[in-house]
Amino acid sequence: MVMRSLIDLIVSSDPAVRDLSIESQVGKMSRQVLLEQTRALDRFRRNHENLYERVRALFFLYAIHRFHLPNLVPESEVGKIGFEGHQHFLQRRFNEAIDVFLVEQERSGPSWAVSSALAAAYHRLAFQTLADQVRKSVKTVAGNRWMFRTGNPDEVPLKIRSELLERNAETGYPILRERTSVRMDFSHSAWSDIFFLGMDYPQGARVINASINLAVQGRHQSPEPPLDCCLRVIDRPVLRLVSIDLNAVVEITQLSQVFDFAADYVGLLKAAVIASGLVPAGLEGHQADIASVLRPLVGTGLGLEIVSRVNDIPKGSRLAVSTNLLGGLIALCMRATNQVSALTGSLTEADRRIVAARAILGEWLGGSGGGWQDSGGVWPGIKLIEGCAAAAGDPEFGISRGRLLPQHHVFSQTEVAAETRQRLQDSLILVHGGMAQNVGPILEMVTEKYLLRSDREWQARGAAIQILEQIVQHLSHGDIRAIGAATDQNFSGPLQAIIPWCTNAYTERLIARCRENYGPDFWGFWMLGGMAGGGMGFIFNPARKVEARQWLWELMKATKRELEHALPFAMDPVVYDFEINDQGTQAQMLSGGSYPVGYYPLLVPGWLRQDIQSLSNETRAELERVGQLCRDSEKDLASKLIARILPGKTDGSVSRQSLTELLEVNGFDPVAHQQLREDLLAGRLGLAQNLLPSTTTIEDVQAGDVVDCREPLPKSIMELGRAAIERGEVGVVTLAAGVGSRWTQGAGVVKALHPFVRMAGQHRSFLEIHLAKSQQTGRLHGRRPLHIVTTGYMTEQPIQAAVERWQQQNNVEGVFVSPGKSVGLRMIPTTRDLRFAWEEMPQQVLDQQQQKVRQSLRSALMNWAQSAGEAADYTDNLPMQCLHPVGHWFEVPNLLRNGLLNELLQNQPQLKYLLLHNVDTLGAAVEPGLLGMHIQSRACLSIEVITRRMEDRGGGLARVNDRVRLVEGLAMPNERDEFNLTFYNSMTTWIDIDQLLERFGLSRSTVGDAERVLKAVRQFARRLPTYITLKDVKKRWGNGQEDVFPVCQFEKLWGDMTSLADVSCQYLAVPTWRGQQLKDPAQLDGWLRDGSAATIERKCDFVA
Amino acid sequence: MTISKAVITAAGKDQTHLPLQTVVDRSGRARSALELVLAEVVSAGIEDIAIVVAPGEQDRYLAAAGSFASRLTFFIQHDPQGYGDAILRAQAFVGREMFLHLVGDHLYVSDHSQWSCAAQLVAVAQQEQCSVSAIQPTHESKLRFFGAIGGTPVAHAEKLYEITAIMEKPTPTQAEQSLIVAGQRSGYYLCFFGMHVLTPTIMDLLAEAKSTVAKTRTDASASLNLSDSLRKLIQREKYLAFQIQGQRFNIGETYGLLIAQMALALSGPDRDRILVELIELLARPK
Repeated sequence: MVMRSLIDLIVSSDPAVRDLSIESQVGKMSRQVLLEQTRALDRFRRNHENLYERVRALFFLYAIHRFHLPNLVPESEVGKIGFEGHQHFLQRRFNEAIDVFLVEQERSGPSWAVSSALAAAYHRLAFQTLADQVRKSVKTVAGNRWMFRTGNPDEVPLKIRSELLERNAETGYPILRERTSVRMDFSHSAWSDIFFLGMDYPQGARVINASINLAVQGRHQSPEPPLDCCLRVIDRPVLRLVSIDLNAVVEITQLSQVFDFAADYVGLLKAAVIASGLVPAGLEGHQADIASVLRPLVGTGLGLEIVSRVNDIPKGSRLAVSTNLLGGLIALCMRATNQVSALTGSLTEADRRIVAARAILGEWLGGSGGGWQDSGGVWPGIKLIEGCAAAAGDPEFGISRGRLLPQHHVFSQTEVAAETRQRLQDSLILVHGGMAQNVGPILEMVTEKYLLRSDREWQARGAAIQILEQIVQHLSHGDIRAIGAATDQNFSGPLQAIIPWCTNAYTERLIARCRENYGPDFWGFWMLGGMAGGGMGFIFNPARKVEARQWLWELMKATKRELEHALPFAMDPVVYDFEINDQGTQAQMLSGGSYPVGYYPLLVPGWLRQDIQSLSNETRAELERVGQLCRDSEKDLASKLIARILPGKTDGSVSRQSLTELLEVNGFDPVAHQQLREDLLAGRLGLAQNLLPSTTTIEDVQAGDVVDCREPLPKSIMELGRAAIERGEVGVVTLAAGVGSRWTQGAGVVKALHPFVRMAGQHRSFLEIHLAKSQQTGRLHGRRPLHIVTTGYMTEQPIQAAVERWQQQNNVEGVFVSPGKSVGLRMIPTTRDLRFAWEEMPQQVLDQQQQKVRQSLRSALMNWAQSAGEAADYTDNLPMQCLHPVGHWFEVPNLLRNGLLNELLQNQPQLKYLLLHNVDTLGAAVEPGLLGMHIQSRACLSIEVITRRMEDRGGGLARVNDRVRLVEGLAMPNERDEFNLTFYNSMTTWIDIDQLLERFGLSRSTVGDAERVLKAVRQFARRLPTYITLKDVKKRWGNGQEDVFPVCQFEKLWGDMTSLADVSCQYLAVPTWRGQQLKDPAQLDGWLRDGSAATIERKCDFVA
Repeated sequence: MTISKAVITAAGKDQTHLPLQTVVDRSGRARSALELVLAEVVSAGIEDIAIVVAPGEQDRYLAAAGSFASRLTFFIQHDPQGYGDAILRAQAFVGREMFLHLVGDHLYVSDHSQWSCAAQLVAVAQQEQCSVSAIQPTHESKLRFFGAIGGTPVAHAEKLYEITAIMEKPTPTQAEQSLIVAGQRSGYYLCFFGMHVLTPTIMDLLAEAKSTVAKTRTDASASLNLSDSLRKLIQREKYLAFQIQGQRFNIGETYGLLIAQMALALSGPDRDRILVELIELLARPK
């Protein structure tokens, strides 16, 4: 094969060249050639006009630095990530960051560290360039531009339609009501509806989706459009926004409040108000009363009320509820202000297109982002949505090959017969599996892979496009069984080939059970939206659908119970009834007082709390009407009102009681807790107090401080270790007391049990992988090391059960669970700590609009901390979510306190060494060479360190006041120091048991004395610093809604053992794959693609 | 064909008093607004003027017309049935001739050194021998007050456009999608000036529309607008728009009369004196 310049792959007009993958070219390049290619690509991306060619060059540069160049550079090549470059990176000045990193690369040659920094910066710059283009395109869509030019309330050009001002003496102002369905996609041609992808490759961007009405089984009688919005004029000059399903009523009096998206639960309504032009986007930053906008819009002294209601559809339905709600709200507001042709009834195609464009704008304003098919519920029936090539006159022309907005072809009854639609309804079971997941990382992965034209993914994309074609044919022939086969093939084939993470153990188990139980009557699985686990479809023979529906519901509930500690479930699974909506979004005028269910129970208690004289005339009249309704007919309304107004017995006392019990059982120390609170309030403890004194000198290690173990070690050392393994002198300790907050954004799932990756044909959890490595150690070296899994209050029972199951399945023993012996109670953070974390600590600035939303949210959380009481106990959540583990340092003393180590030493007296590692350090395993190094050194602790890369933030190995030790990131007095450090702490530690006991003042003979152990641990703990940390915790409510709160907790950390003069330590530099920690699901794809996952899989022996 | 007739509409329910307001003209004389409108018409060389008023207004209008009273022919619109219906009242007066049409609640100030606004428009219409509507670039925040056109510039003719679309009081959303005209500033649209030269075809179209309305609507409020018939005129014959060198002032808007008055005063020989007075007013403490 001819070696091509990588720029040829970008600019070639021949698809056969343009669609070649980067892997196919760089594999045979030498380091020198590859470096020359990166220089050429960097020049190209700086000077080239065409946006998409620049972006491809950026992705090429990212891929080279992330996956290819490091393979040609020894890991021992030392490189430093410049502090200035990192600062630029955090502030989103990616171009400047790249310049700094490139200077370092030119100065000291390529290295893993600098390549990791360049990869991260090129990656972010590529996405920022794409996002900027979408933003620009949305703003320049005809019909949207004026909203950005309107800079003064006097210039607001809209006026409410006169029909909405025709007040009826009896019922007040009329109500305009819009009812909108949601969209269900048959296929999105493997995520090709992502804006960037439609603009890059419009001919591949094809989607079929249907607008559907829904009913939740057991709650609703029959399917209806699930999104319900109303608008009316009110007799107060305010903008009243009401979300019935989120129980939120907000009266806006200032213009600035409209742009404060995260201050309350009506952010989506605010986005609709802006995107529909009622409050044009150009008014952001204007300091004025909302009345100044309402006056020309509605009239003096009048205001507007906009109400939304989602009919019990849980979050994560994969039916684009938010986008369609936004679309419905925007259509409603545009009808009310004459921006679309019809006040009531259906919209024209031109109107739907402008509503869709505004919905995209609204999503961007709200800091979220869906695909371009998502507003499909605004359209009627089943439609084919396709990307369009940009033509002269389009704002995208000359910039990208495709337009921002696609075109919709609604299938006629001739193309897809009514019987076919009915048969589809009779076969498909639509469900919400109950899982809560973030689809965002998947969309980024797909974009990156497609723009790189990665071989496997590009072929799979072609296959997905073919499957869409087949589905169109099957729809036309009315062959539902074939549709089921096609969607099933789509999911198991191309979708998983492109993104393995789009499935999970829960979904796989459900599908397998469907096949087992229904055989040929199960016609296939149907993935909805971006990933499986939440909204999903199962197609059955219609003759068995009714029975299968109930069976599937029971199966989902049972499977959820089995897996709820391992996977993030937000709610119990639900099953829907659905029907295809052949009308699209519809509006009607109603007389006043005809509000959707739930409006009056939400609003009336607030009105009653006010002095009757302070209510407006309309509100008083409305209260009279509600009273009359309750007396005359609406008994249900009366009982709901009473339930709202009068206090009832709640289950709060039950929660409080179980929290108290949990605290007692798990070794909570109320005296220490009170002391902690006092210290926090007095400022003796806090994030700022975590820092070492500012006079501390922190420098990089010197030659001889670290033993390089990245190359093969001498045979004698290997033999020393191997013999120790064979004699049973070593055990493994996997630290799994915490839940891994970052992994599921505080969802409270046991990270150790999360089956996150498929290895040897099955989804495997962190714990299974660690145990499988011990299995292999046993096979290779004659004796399997005993394996201890430390646990905490939240992880003990699920891990105990999982270990027992694993031992049974594998028919082995020797895995021990170490129960936690201490727990803390989370606290409301102090505003001082929140400010420190958010304003003084370095952090990544987000994209423009997301950053605004983040700031708005932080301001709301600051108010929450003040109103809930700084340093008060955090109890407003499930009891388990209010507790916290007290740091991984305690997990080793717990082995002493709970008697497990004593028991093991009794039963296996030859046990001398422990390999301690974090649950997310997947590469950690008993290696004879490293054990040999530890034995030979006679050190108490041998700590494994890895070359620091861009993502490895949070301290490292340093000379602190000239003593070599680990230093935590939260103790670094000057963040610049961290950038001088070559090595990052993997936390993996080889421990000499006898020396450790000695440091605690114990020995093998006294470690069984519980009282003496307790005293020893307390004394030792006092020598280590206590850190205050903020952790995100999720609070779930309503239908899968989740709020995330930052809570305060304390920790003692294992790495601080190295700060003690009497604990002898050595430091071993190990390969990155061995020491890398998986903290965030966004790391997964890179971990898989750079070969780390395969390396680890080779270290495992899984029993089928 | 020369243009010798004009039709002024002043029968709208909120505008009957407007032409009767007194303003000071550019030379400092107190005159009625109606007199100024009539002077505008006469300046274009037109002698016969029809004026459509509400019942009972004729005498007041005659009194306000000053020296132009003798040229007026009155038509009464008994029921408020829309702008189009008001024009249609003068069908017999117009006959088969082209005519100038103005709305009674606007005042016009020409920026041309010699020609009034009406004279500019009539000259173009006579040259092109077709219907021509006067237009003015208008900021999108004012769109709700005017009809607006979309069109393409006529080759080799300055400020002349072939009309392709007409919308009555569009929102900017609609205007951006349908009324973009090459060469206009961003956020500005070509809006009607309240002054048109129309061929008698418009009377045919209005009559057809009235007959349709009569068949489909029985209520008294059934209204006949002009925009729908102008849109049909695009299909029927050549129809152009001309950007006048001048300004129009809608005296029916809030402060409209005041602003029109200031524009008139500042366009006359006493401009400096009036500016001095205004500056003194501005300099006084609030």
